[in-house]
Amino acid sequence: MKKTVFSYLGHTVAHEVPTCPKCGKVFIPEELAEGKMAEVEEQLEDK
Amino acid sequence: MTVSSHKESANTSSVCPVCLKRLPAAVVRRGLTYFLEKECSDHGRFSTVVWRGENPRLEDWGNYMPPDEPAEEQPDCPSGCGLCAGHLQKTCCVVVEVTQRCDLKCGYCFAQSGDGSTDPSVAQLSASFRALVENGNTFVQLSGGEPTVRNDLPEIVAAARDAGCENIQLNSNGVRLGKDRGFVKALAEAGLSFVFMQFDGLDDRIYESLRGRPLKAEKLAAIDACAAELLGVTLVPTIVPGVNDQHIGAILDFALSKSPAVRGVHFQPVSYFGRYPQPPRDSKRVTLPEVLSAIEEQTSGKIRIADLVPSGCDHPRCGFHGDFVILPDSILPLTSKTGSSCCQAEDSHLKNRNFVARRWKRTTTACEESCCGEDYTEMDTFLARIKSHGFTITAMAFQDAYTLDIERLRRCSLHVFDNGNLIPFCARYLTPSQG
Repeated sequence: MKKTVFSYLGHTVAHEVPTCPKCGKVFIPEELAEGKMAEVEEQLEDK
Repeated sequence: MTVSSHKESANTSSVCPVCLKRLPAAVVRRGLTYFLEKECSDHGRFSTVVWRGENPRLEDWGNYMPPDEPAEEQPDCPSGCGLCAGHLQKTCCVVVEVTQRCDLKCGYCFAQSGDGSTDPSVAQLSASFRALVENGNTFVQLSGGEPTVRNDLPEIVAAARDAGCENIQLNSNGVRLGKDRGFVKALAEAGLSFVFMQFDGLDDRIYESLRGRPLKAEKLAAIDACAAELLGVTLVPTIVPGVNDQHIGAILDFALSKSPAVRGVHFQPVSYFGRYPQPPRDSKRVTLPEVLSAIEEQTSGKIRIADLVPSGCDHPRCGFHGDFVILPDSILPLTSKTGSSCCQAEDSHLKNRNFVARRWKRTTTACEESCCGEDYTEMDTFLARIKSHGFTITAMAFQDAYTLDIERLRRCSLHVFDNGNLIPFCARYLTPSQG
């Protein structure tokens, strides 16, 4: 797991996501993408 | 020697303040001030300030472009209202008047007061709510008069909920809410979503001037009563020059200190409805850029003009909004970083509806509000905080017979339900100068 920074509309938030120990790429689970990440996007989007 | 520029910046239509006849009108610039000007063949020439100053400049405020259409195809606003094919915005919020009675006698009010004999029944209101929901209008504001004079208001709220209204807003002066906690509890249990509460400042002299008697203690009690039921409150100051225009910062500081019970502040620059034999002097009007500047100056820059953007749902000159999250030691602006708003987008009325409901409704419990972590850069903590301590600063500049600009009216998304018709707010409450 690796604490990863997500940027959207000028704001950043961090969350721990699974990481490949060799190449360092992170894996974004579908549940996170459609759940909390989508929620953050909605909250930051203007009307 | 004074040098003044004179420029006709926009042509539109308006009405004669005396006879309400539709007239050609122009927004005219003199120096840094803009006036709406028109001339009636029977009642003469009228010029009223609509924008003072250049921070922001009128030309830079919003990206509204009037439709390119021949004059003969323009709708006959406001005499033809209800909404017609010429109206340029769909409904965001519907005002439903539940009574004409009121327990205050304010000098500044769009609503007329009556004796209660014309109050619609719960069954009549229920039919109205069902008709609105059938057409997709699920955001209603219960208004008046003063809705809380009706003892059956919880039944009305329940009727709106049962009809399928998703957001039920109460427009109230707070007097009864502050002294009748059982009534507030009944409203919350019936499904009330949030409260729009008239709140003109923290000095009783303001209330004595605008509302006829001191009301500060009752306002504070109302906020506490709503907080006890987790009913979000948005404070609604009417800003009047010389009365409370120097109290804008104090109102904001107070509102911020009351988060999350208070969800935002909605400023309404004074407009003049009812009987005014003499035109209200321009010195008795305050314009949007002056409110914006006052917010920045009176909060010592804690809230900046740059944090606030033109209305994306209505005409840009009808208001502004800013979205914030309140952190323990600071206030984080969200709007300025989100780019331009969706002005004139096809679904802007729905986006606006969702936005205000998201912020004005208090959806978290007191426990959740106090159980956040400390690091607001963490996704979970940030999400929890923005839900619990989101905060809006908004404004709406209502138009009266002197300031009515048909181009603005055509973009209105706040509509009053009246005998089965939806009437743009400023058309519904338009009154000639003789009352």
